[in-house]
Parts: sequence; C-alpha cells; structure tokens
Amino acid sequence: MTDTAQNTILRRAAIIAAFKKELIQRLNLPYTPEDLHEDVSLLGAGLGLDSLDALEIVLCAENCFGVKIPDESVAVLRSINTIVDFIIEEQDKKGAAP
Amino acid sequence: MRTSPLKPTWQAAGAVFAERYGTEVVSSFSDSATECGLVRNSVGLTDFSFAQIYRIPEEKAVDYLDTFLAGNVARTRFGRMLHTFLPDEDGNVAADCYVANNDQDFILICESVIETGEVDRVLDSYGAKDAGVETLTDRCVLLGLDGFDAWKVVRDVFGRDVLGLPYLSVEVYPFAGESVHLFRAGKTSEFGYLVMAPNSVADALYEKLHSAVKAAGGGLCGVEAHHALRLEGRFFNIHKEGLKVRDPLVLGLQWMIDFDKAGGFRGSAPLFGRRAAGLKQKIIGVSAAPRCEALCPGARIFHQGRPVADVATSCDSRVLDRKLGLAVFPVELAYSGLDFTLNAADGPPVRTISMPPILPKSLGIRLDEM
Repeated sequence: MTDTAQNTILRRAAIIAAFKKELIQRLNLPYTPEDLHEDVSLLGAGLGLDSLDALEIVLCAENCFGVKIPDESVAVLRSINTIVDFIIEEQDKKGAAP
Repeated sequence: MRTSPLKPTWQAAGAVFAERYGTEVVSSFSDSATECGLVRNSVGLTDFSFAQIYRIPEEKAVDYLDTFLAGNVARTRFGRMLHTFLPDEDGNVAADCYVANNDQDFILICESVIETGEVDRVLDSYGAKDAGVETLTDRCVLLGLDGFDAWKVVRDVFGRDVLGLPYLSVEVYPFAGESVHLFRAGKTSEFGYLVMAPNSVADALYEKLHSAVKAAGGGLCGVEAHHALRLEGRFFNIHKEGLKVRDPLVLGLQWMIDFDKAGGFRGSAPLFGRRAAGLKQKIIGVSAAPRCEALCPGARIFHQGRPVADVATSCDSRVLDRKLGLAVFPVELAYSGLDFTLNAADGPPVRTISMPPILPKSLGIRLDEM
C-alpha cells in the first residue's frame, strides 16, 4: 500500500473512531462502534434520529474536531462518512490557511 | 406464477414484466433513465404488489412478530412503522420488512428473496394461526408513490393531513367505501409513500392516483428504475446486494437489529456469534467512470496486483453521471477515498466513496411547514 493510501486510512479511521464513540455516548445508542456502518443514514431512514439528535451530532463535530457545521449544511448529516468528509475538508482548509 | 391484481392495466400501459421468486413484477415501462428522472424531478407510480402482506390483530401482534423479526416490534408506537428484516435460520436476511402499528392491527410487508409460499410457511411455523394472522398478499394491491412531488399526489387524493405524516408512519383513509392504508415509506431518498388497498378498489385507486401523478408531471415506473434509485440513496436493496451478500452485519444492517431483545429471534444465535467474533468484511460504495462496464456484479477489485474486494451491485447514476456500485471489502480497506482497479492490476480505475453520494431534492422541503 502506498504511503498516501495508508495515511488516508489512518486519518479517516482515527476521526471515525472518535466520532462514533462520542455519538454513541451522547445519543445513548444501543450499539458498539463496530455496529455503526459509516454509510448508514443518520436522520429519517437508518438510525432514524430526529432534529434534536441532529443538534447533538453538530455539537459532537464541533467539540471533538473544532469544526462548525453551518445550518445550511444539513446535507452533511446524511451519514457518518459524509460528516467525516466534511471534517477532513474543514481541517484541510484550516491547515492550508496562512 | 403470482401476478399483480392490476396486470391488465399495466399491460395496457406497455409494461415489461419479469419473474422474481415465483412472482411477476413490472420491470419497466420505458428506459431506466426516464423513470429515474420521473422520481428525481416529479413522481413515479410503481406497483409493489409483489410484496407479501399480512395483518396481525393488535392483541397478539407484538409477541408474535418479535419471536422471528430482527427488530423490536414492541417499541413501535401507534401510528409508526419499523423497518427491519426477517432472518433465516442462520441469521441471514430472507426478507426486507416494514411493520406498521395501526392500533387495531399490525401490518407486515415483506420484500423477500424467497417464494411467497415459503414466507407463509415461516410465519406459520411461528404460530400464525394462534396469532390470528390474515394473509393479504393476494387480496390487496400495493402501489408506491416516490419522488420530489409525491407529497402533492397524496395530498390531492387523501387531503392535507398527509403532510403531517413523519417518515415511517401509517394512517388509514376511507376510499370508495373501503379502508386504504397509507404508509409514509420509500427507498429512493425523495418523498415516498406506499398505498395498500383491497383488490375490490384497486382499479379505482389506480385511476385516482394515476390522474394525480400525471397532473404533477409524473408517470409510471417499474421496479428496475428503483434499483438505481436505491443505490444512489444507499437504501438496502434485497434484490441486488441482498442476493449476493446475505449477512446483515456485512451489509451494515445492524440498525435493523435489536441485539438486546429478550429471547432473541429467528437465527439470532448464529448472528450474535458472528458479531462477537468481530466483523471481517464490510460493504461500501465505489465509483467509476460513466458507463464503465467493468464495474458490474461479480467484478473483482484489485489492490497492488491482487484481488481484495468483490462487487455486489452497480448502476449508472444519472444524477452523478458516474457508475456507482457496492463492493465487499476486508474491514482494513473499507474506507472511502481509496483508489483501486477493476479485474486486473492495470484495469479501469475505481474509487471507494462515501454514501449516499447524492443530495436528494426533497431534502430542501419541510412538509410540516407547507
């Protein structure tokens, strides 16, 4: 495996692990981190979380990763993977900022 | 072969039929791109009468259904629905199920990969007779309304109250002297409803719905288009990836399972055993160039000259103008953002992606504020 691919996996795995742990704790979900597939729908279908839960997810991203999810970016909350994509994107922007 | 109560209507409309586990389904009316477009931009009317449907009286429904379904039926409140599955004896997925709690009774709707008679036999083996189960499969029509404008159709037919129905809820409405069940449930990521009615009013219901669909700019849709719609929205499709991969843990369906249900359920012991042993494989999204024929079910995904994953399903996504798929990877490689090749070390490129990859148009509308 190339270093780039290895780094992608390590970075993503670390964010996913931290996010799932916080999500399970905050929402008192009856699952282990391994039970939560990263593509499962969070709101409506899938986990069936509601608007209050969505607020917890937003706070979770802010507290754990210092990333603010704007109100108009609700589409980001489609799945754990789409949230992780957003976190990585925002972290890269901050890293690239002068 | 079991056929739809509306078969003559579909035939007259130019339907192409296919056979699935002993049941005839309406595969398409035109090309898949057109029918997907109907759902994404207006509304599609689809015949889901191939599903198996059962009514269970309220007093025995919870205890009965909870003995074999993977989810927790007891936690399904009045007016709401549970999305779960019927496992086989090994804890693999045999049917994708909705359970609707309508106070007087519970309705069980199954999309299965086993024949209707076999689903009946499973229910019988768990005491269907004692629970008072009534088989509605051949006595009802089940029509799907899916799309950005699906809410307009149900509003015009059943009244403005329907706009207050949350996702996974059920309501009963009078229609032509009969009771019609309206389920707010869909697997396209746009607005979705299922309408169940006795065969005696099937034609009248079709006429009413079809008129409203046409008025909303929509049209008829076959199940073939729903394969692409489900994949784009990352809804589990028992007829595609569910046929290739039977283990709900590999499929990522843990959210459909109550791991703490007292007494377990059908196949729970082997399923819980696999969970305790740890997940070895996981199904994730992949994407390739538009119309890439190499990304197809059965294709192998290569990494550094050796095969590491198997493609379970694929579709041409008109929304993304990309080929989309789902593939089973070892968990250590099951991350989005990685590049691989198809079928050989120098094969066409394929990339793992985060799902769902599309932004449904319906996401921008709040029905309860309209």
